[in-house]
Amino acid sequence: MTRRALWMLAAGALVCTYTLSAAPQTSAAPEWLVTRADEGRSGGQLVVIERAEPRTLNPVIAVDAPSKDVIARTTADLIHFDRETQQPQPALARSWTASPDGRHFTLSLRRGIRFSDGEPFDADDVLFSFRVYQDEKVGSPQRDQLIVGEKPMAVRKIDEYTVQVDLAEPYAVGERLFDSLAMLPRHLLDRPYTEGRLPQLWGLGTAPQAIAGLGPFRLREHVVGQRMVLERNPFYWKTDRAGHHLPYLDRVVFTFVPSEDAQAVRFQSGDADVTTRLSAANFDVLFRDRGGRNYDLLDLGPGLDYTFLFFNQNSLAADAPAPVARARAWFRQLAFRQAVSLAIDREAIVRLVYKGRAVPLWGHVPPGNKLWVNRTLAKPPRSVEQARARLRMAGFSWNAAGMLMDRDGQPVAFTIVTNTGNTERNQIATIIQDDLRQLGIAVNVAALELRALLDRLLNTHDYEACVLGLGGSDGDPSNEMNVWLSSGGTHLWNPGQPQPGTAWEAEIDTLMRRQLVIRDMQERKRLYDRVQALVAENLPIISLVSPNVLVGVTKGLGNLRPTIFDHHALWNVEELFWRGRPSGAAR
Amino acid sequence: MRRGRKGALAALAVLYLFAIFAGFLAPYDPAAQARDLAFSPPSRQHVLGTDGFGRDQLSRLLYGARISLLAGPLGAAISIAGAVLLGGAAGFFGGWIDALIMRTGELFVAVPWFYLLFAVRMAMPLRVEPAQAFLMILALVALVGWARPARLIRGVVLSARTRDYVVAARSLGASNVHLLRRHVLPQLIGVTLTQAALLAPQYILAEATLSFFGLGVGEPVPSWGNMLAVLQRYDVLSSYWWMFIPAAALVAIVLLYSMLADPLHDGAGGR
Amino acid sequence: MPAVRYLCLRIGHGLLVLLGVSLLSFLLAAAAPGTFADELRLDPRVSPETIATLQARYGANRPVAEQYVLWLRSIGRGEFGFSVIYNGPVGPLLWPRVRNTLLLTVPATVFAWLIAVPIGAWAAAGRGGWLDRSTTAVTTALAGIPEIVLGVGLLFIAVRTGYFPTGGMTSLDFDDLAPWQKMRDVVSHFFLPVAALALISLPVLVRHVRASLGEVLRAPFIQAARAAGVPERRLLFRHALRVGANPLISLAGLSAAGLLSASLVIETIMSWPGLGPLMLDAVLARDLHVVVAAATCSTVLLIAGNLCADGLLYLADPRIRIGRFS
Repeated sequence: MTRRALWMLAAGALVCTYTLSAAPQTSAAPEWLVTRADEGRSGGQLVVIERAEPRTLNPVIAVDAPSKDVIARTTADLIHFDRETQQPQPALARSWTASPDGRHFTLSLRRGIRFSDGEPFDADDVLFSFRVYQDEKVGSPQRDQLIVGEKPMAVRKIDEYTVQVDLAEPYAVGERLFDSLAMLPRHLLDRPYTEGRLPQLWGLGTAPQAIAGLGPFRLREHVVGQRMVLERNPFYWKTDRAGHHLPYLDRVVFTFVPSEDAQAVRFQSGDADVTTRLSAANFDVLFRDRGGRNYDLLDLGPGLDYTFLFFNQNSLAADAPAPVARARAWFRQLAFRQAVSLAIDREAIVRLVYKGRAVPLWGHVPPGNKLWVNRTLAKPPRSVEQARARLRMAGFSWNAAGMLMDRDGQPVAFTIVTNTGNTERNQIATIIQDDLRQLGIAVNVAALELRALLDRLLNTHDYEACVLGLGGSDGDPSNEMNVWLSSGGTHLWNPGQPQPGTAWEAEIDTLMRRQLVIRDMQERKRLYDRVQALVAENLPIISLVSPNVLVGVTKGLGNLRPTIFDHHALWNVEELFWRGRPSGAAR
Repeated sequence: MRRGRKGALAALAVLYLFAIFAGFLAPYDPAAQARDLAFSPPSRQHVLGTDGFGRDQLSRLLYGARISLLAGPLGAAISIAGAVLLGGAAGFFGGWIDALIMRTGELFVAVPWFYLLFAVRMAMPLRVEPAQAFLMILALVALVGWARPARLIRGVVLSARTRDYVVAARSLGASNVHLLRRHVLPQLIGVTLTQAALLAPQYILAEATLSFFGLGVGEPVPSWGNMLAVLQRYDVLSSYWWMFIPAAALVAIVLLYSMLADPLHDGAGGR
Repeated sequence: MPAVRYLCLRIGHGLLVLLGVSLLSFLLAAAAPGTFADELRLDPRVSPETIATLQARYGANRPVAEQYVLWLRSIGRGEFGFSVIYNGPVGPLLWPRVRNTLLLTVPATVFAWLIAVPIGAWAAAGRGGWLDRSTTAVTTALAGIPEIVLGVGLLFIAVRTGYFPTGGMTSLDFDDLAPWQKMRDVVSHFFLPVAALALISLPVLVRHVRASLGEVLRAPFIQAARAAGVPERRLLFRHALRVGANPLISLAGLSAAGLLSASLVIETIMSWPGLGPLMLDAVLARDLHVVVAAATCSTVLLIAGNLCADGLLYLADPRIRIGRFS
């Protein structure tokens, strides 16, 4: 019989302590984690559509979504955030304590568990992992998250199964720092690391035996350009209530389908079991043509992504040409931005672009982010008259042809840029264009290829207005520091300011810095509510819409609890099982 | 045959007139969105139905013809001009000139030019008219597109030049210019026209691909290329048959171009 | 031996072209806006310093000339450059995909010609007749459909009928199949992309076959043969086709190149694991070495195609030998 972990889900608690309910045990008996999910049956495979081939299986350097999707199934973290409750839960750490100021964490590791190649896991692996992630020479994209207060987190070994982590400054949700940080097998990676070869390791040609992780699955086979087959990790450290070892599924197959439409077709034909990131248009087609087909289509409601319009408010070089300076002057007027926001028909965007499967936004936190959304924000309905009134008061006028003129009698016209390959954003820009025509503003839409667009936004600042989307992480405001701090690199409308340019930007800076260091959830929420209100009042970004998360799944998948967090359907892949029939997608 | 050509010419003339007078003929502003009528099938108000924004398809087709009916022949003309010049020279002079031109041609076919297009689009100011921006890009595509037709033209010139009677004429002391005019050029006309008839629609279609990279005609300006590009969406393809109408119009144009090219060919070859 | 000398010369030229293509690709790619690391910059959790480290590690900020020389050197090691997004040498990425692309384009080319020659010939023979008119109508209709739409359309048909797999190259249980089942599996996956590619190249081929044969059929010697009572079919496929083959052979070399670019789109839509998706991904991600290597690779295929065509031309039309070597 395995031991049973007890967990308490205490939202907003200052100190979270997880303890084993059973008596201490010998180090030989593995400390399994017992899940609360329904008991399932073993066997079968799950075929999952992935939009591109993963570029690496190396958790240290992976940046693209497909790689992360696969790696998340083959690795495990110390403390994991439950994708349903948004609360931290024990994972490789069976329990932990945090000091009241949130600067010191003591983690007790699960004893007697093994990597997917059968080698044991202990504190040395944890120390090694942190060293790798924090090493400047390795250049891991996770490195910046592990630097708190300009200093790397210090990790110390107390004993073989206990580590202590010290932060230089208090941090609001220290537990989050451990989430999705894959623990690495020191026995495999130590030598390559000291030889400086680690970033090149575990590329696509690697033999499955050379890779090991602590996740529910491990690599079995990679068929170039077509699919990656994962098989059950027999050493996985979770069991169900009856003591059966998880995962239930024998295999998970990621099959690569590059185009969005081909993904819909592949799923519809029954050659795949799971597709996420369905567009609303294709969702409707699959629903209409489901016929006798064996799939469920799930609308999970608004997710964490938000799409918005923003104007370029960059400080100008002294020699900027007059038209650019003039446009910048309009964009910096609050009345102008308010008028644009009032004139945009958000309901039309929801209806035409998303077939009703989205929610209009007036603040930047979408309602899908239940923990953080400020529900008290005003939602001024669309009104072209009010928009015109705002413009008139700000000194704009209209000529005989109905075109909007600024104070100097120059016509108001600008170009909205957005990225190609995102049908929805292009459609949104087209709708905005037509809405603003009713204010007498001539708007061009230019779709630029993504790298070209980012180059304009972040390097040359040569653009006027842009439709873009952000989101997709776990919804905590600490993720968006660089967006809201006026000095941040993704402070899109005016990035990297040495000093906040406006009073409200200064206030946001203060609020964001404050919420990062206190551990009282209610207080953090209050501070972030104020940030949302400031953004909604001053409209540096004009929030437009948050699309629903749409997922398609073959019928009969037990324990499926899809969420709006990544990966929508696979976050609890170890618990998934086939009801009734032995396997998933037939051929 | 002659009747076919005249008919095709007349039909094309009518189409071009439609395009020129789109402003008078179109029942709606091509950019006006009737948002309650998105994707509505043909009806009395919208004879050819509406698109996803509720814009009138007939009006967009008429306005779109302006760009597309210009872009096709323009692109084809540029490419063919380059091809005749270079391919002709290669075939006629032979030797190292031939080798140089043909190898350069291979280079032109193989280089990934879309990078050049990205760079050019980057250098262009954002506030350029969508149609203008597209025509510039198209001219560039056409300019680097000489290599494929050039190979064919070289082949024809080469075999024309080596025909017995041409060889005989040359040995009798006929000048290069004379040879070109009397013997090589007539042979060329057929191939050139067939090529042009094939290339013109390809340049109209090229816009659908160009818009995939953000280099097509920007919204809300209609063109046949961006109207066709909508068809690649699975939901549109499987749900709204009237969105195929631009494709039908394009097929009609292609047919007319090829009819126009073909009888001329007969006339030239039959001499 | 003039033929051998000619071959050596052509291969020498080919190497020069390859050098030119790689150099030009390098220059153009360097001129395109943005770098591979820009994607990271939208992630607010990654600092500019980390991005700078990444760019420095992969030499993205070195001069283009130096990068090019580095790339040339890596060819010697069989690596064909270093992919910044796959974090490894380009060669191993490329080879299986080149094979898959050839698996697709070679049958497609053969099929397209097998269909185009008889159709074009019959159309030429019966000029103005119903066959001619209907083939013209069908091929022009095909020429009026964008490749992408054709691809999605075929997928739509596949999912509606259920006769064909909706993409990919092999089924999931491919390894467990018996040899003949493997054959059947691959062929069924072949069908749609090969059909798409054949349909895309068909209009051009048919029209050229028709045009060049039409010309030959009016030549005096054919008229004479016809008057002498040579059967029409024999006339068409034995005599006329041999004479009219010249421009067609030129075209054959080209059509391979055309298919290669068409397959970029079709492979992406049909999820075929060829060069197409790799190249497209690399272009969009600014993975310089992969793009240059893929471009160079397709140039090799192109030059090989042209070389074969010229060789055939040399064999088929003795007059050209005189023309070239006099």
